[in-house]
Amino acid sequence: MNYKKLAAIPLSVSLLFPMGAIANAADHSEHGTSSMAVSNPATDLRATLDSILSEHAYLAIVAMQKGIDGKEDFDAAAAQLGENTDELSAAIGSVYGDEAGAKFKEIWSSHIGYFVDYVKATAANDEEGRKKAVSDLDGYRVTQAEFLDTATDGRLKAKELEEGLKMHVDQLIWAFDNYNAGEYEKAYEGITESMMHMFGTGKGISWAITDQFPEKFDKQSVDTPAADLREQLNNQFSTHAALAILAMQKGIDGAKDFDVSAAELNGNTEDLTKSIESVYGAEGAKQFNEIWSSHIGYFVDYVKATAADDAEGQNMAMANLDDYRVKQAAFLETATEGRLKAADLEEGLKVHVDQLLAAFNKYHEGDYDGAYDDIHEAYSHMFGVGTMMAGAIVDQYPDKFAGSMPSDMPKTGLGGMSQESNDSTVMWILTSLILAMAAGAVVIRKTRTENN
Amino acid sequence: MKVPTLLTSGLLALALAGCSSPDTSTAPETTPEPQSTQAPSKQTASAEKPSAEGLSLKSEQKGITPVTLEIPAIDVKTKIENVGELANGQMGVPEGVDNVGWFEPGTLPGNQGSAVMAGHIDSLTGPAVFYKLDKLKKDDEIIVQDKDGKSLTFVVTKTKTYPRKEAPVEEIFGFSYGSRLNLITCTGEFNRKAKTHEERLVVYTELASDAASD
Repeated sequence: MNYKKLAAIPLSVSLLFPMGAIANAADHSEHGTSSMAVSNPATDLRATLDSILSEHAYLAIVAMQKGIDGKEDFDAAAAQLGENTDELSAAIGSVYGDEAGAKFKEIWSSHIGYFVDYVKATAANDEEGRKKAVSDLDGYRVTQAEFLDTATDGRLKAKELEEGLKMHVDQLIWAFDNYNAGEYEKAYEGITESMMHMFGTGKGISWAITDQFPEKFDKQSVDTPAADLREQLNNQFSTHAALAILAMQKGIDGAKDFDVSAAELNGNTEDLTKSIESVYGAEGAKQFNEIWSSHIGYFVDYVKATAADDAEGQNMAMANLDDYRVKQAAFLETATEGRLKAADLEEGLKVHVDQLLAAFNKYHEGDYDGAYDDIHEAYSHMFGVGTMMAGAIVDQYPDKFAGSMPSDMPKTGLGGMSQESNDSTVMWILTSLILAMAAGAVVIRKTRTENN
Repeated sequence: MKVPTLLTSGLLALALAGCSSPDTSTAPETTPEPQSTQAPSKQTASAEKPSAEGLSLKSEQKGITPVTLEIPAIDVKTKIENVGELANGQMGVPEGVDNVGWFEPGTLPGNQGSAVMAGHIDSLTGPAVFYKLDKLKKDDEIIVQDKDGKSLTFVVTKTKTYPRKEAPVEEIFGFSYGSRLNLITCTGEFNRKAKTHEERLVVYTELASDAASD
């Protein structure tokens, strides 16, 4: 498998013609079948939607924090959120037509506007304004749910969608209110939860689309154990990038919520470690945890050195990150029994490290547009990482990812009430019994008595 | 998650203490709209602690491990056996003709996706538990209960009959955004050679909106 090919995810693709980076994973694997289980047109659609939707949640929460704090990067964060909306609307348009894409964009953008209203009202201590924003968000949920119900021909039901949308809205408001109240643990737990929630949304929408247009997705399913593993890893890896960047920003700003943002990042490392443990056992997980945590520490060193204008310290941190890459790559090559190659992994890890450092440096230098572009790249990159890991794991342990669906319907009748002659049915069964139990004449006679 | 991670993050927090220029007062002058008014509550962190009341914050699956099934419209009240997949790929069936088999490797009733249960239409000699399954109509209720008495109510959305080899297994057992419970039995003529009925009846149901009752 070629890591480089996975480095970028085709986020602006037309969803009906998924192509490009992820799909290449299959071409470059010597293990075609399991790669196809992880990456095929249907699961790629799911991953693409997961990526856009979860980044929406992240950027929305970040923009709301920056807004209430009056930070200089608010505009850039909000603009990135707008680009994310464009991407999502284009994706919807690629499935349901340009007009539907435009309509979707109008509805989706409205809810971002209501969140902005909510932040503004909060900043102005305007309780009425906050209530108005919440009530507008209620209205949005109905409109958005109707749109998707209609578009998917009722595969996604408005009633169920409204519940899902309520959770999204509630999570964002909750994360923001708690941030504003200084309840940072709840605020940051809210970030993780709200990003994870969007993976459920992505699964739901991609399921509806693939069910609606099966031919366009090679009749593949989005709901397989291999696809679930891929998205679990995508979720955990992308949350790592998202939280790492935020923690670095909070660190250099000396923000009050820095400690909690770092703690949430460590919580993410624990989640990732559990995933590794479920596949490679406790010893492997321990090693992974140590190596992975070390790179977070080096990022911290880098932020620290930057704050102190200590170029030597920065260089030292970067040198340590180089060492980290070698160790992390060697670990993964060994764990996957060579399915992932250390050389490819080192290159991929370099992309991750460089993206995070670039996003941080630009933030520090005040190039906010550049910073948020890098954040988007860094976030999306992690979906390639999760896909690559899932591909290797499914190839290594195919039995763990067998489907939980029978291939055929049950035999739920013995014929006793069949419209066909009951007698002949019973007789036929008795005949088989006779053949099967040639020695048991007495038993057969008994059966006949009971049956009649 | 928070408590242990806070402890382990102590190192990080300490490490960064040095770089934390407490200079957050340099709030930008070219302020974007939302912060045009400095929120006083923010400074004192005296904003009220948000209440989670009425908020929906965590996805919680409502699924239960079913032990009984009740279908009042056709007088069915029965035990549930867990069944799996047979060596030939077929869904297993309950041993008792008056019991219903829940496909245990699949979805829990109440979780997102399709839970599936199968029951016999007849035994060798007479009607079995799902003999009258074809009488079910839209909006009829199906009630499943777990061993602690927690119950979920599903309502019939549609009924379909398929030739036995052509049932859409993916649709019946596969994912759905909402929570479904699909009931299967046999129907049509009994094929003596194949030792099975020629058709399969599937009753599709979905979780009632006022779902959980304890």
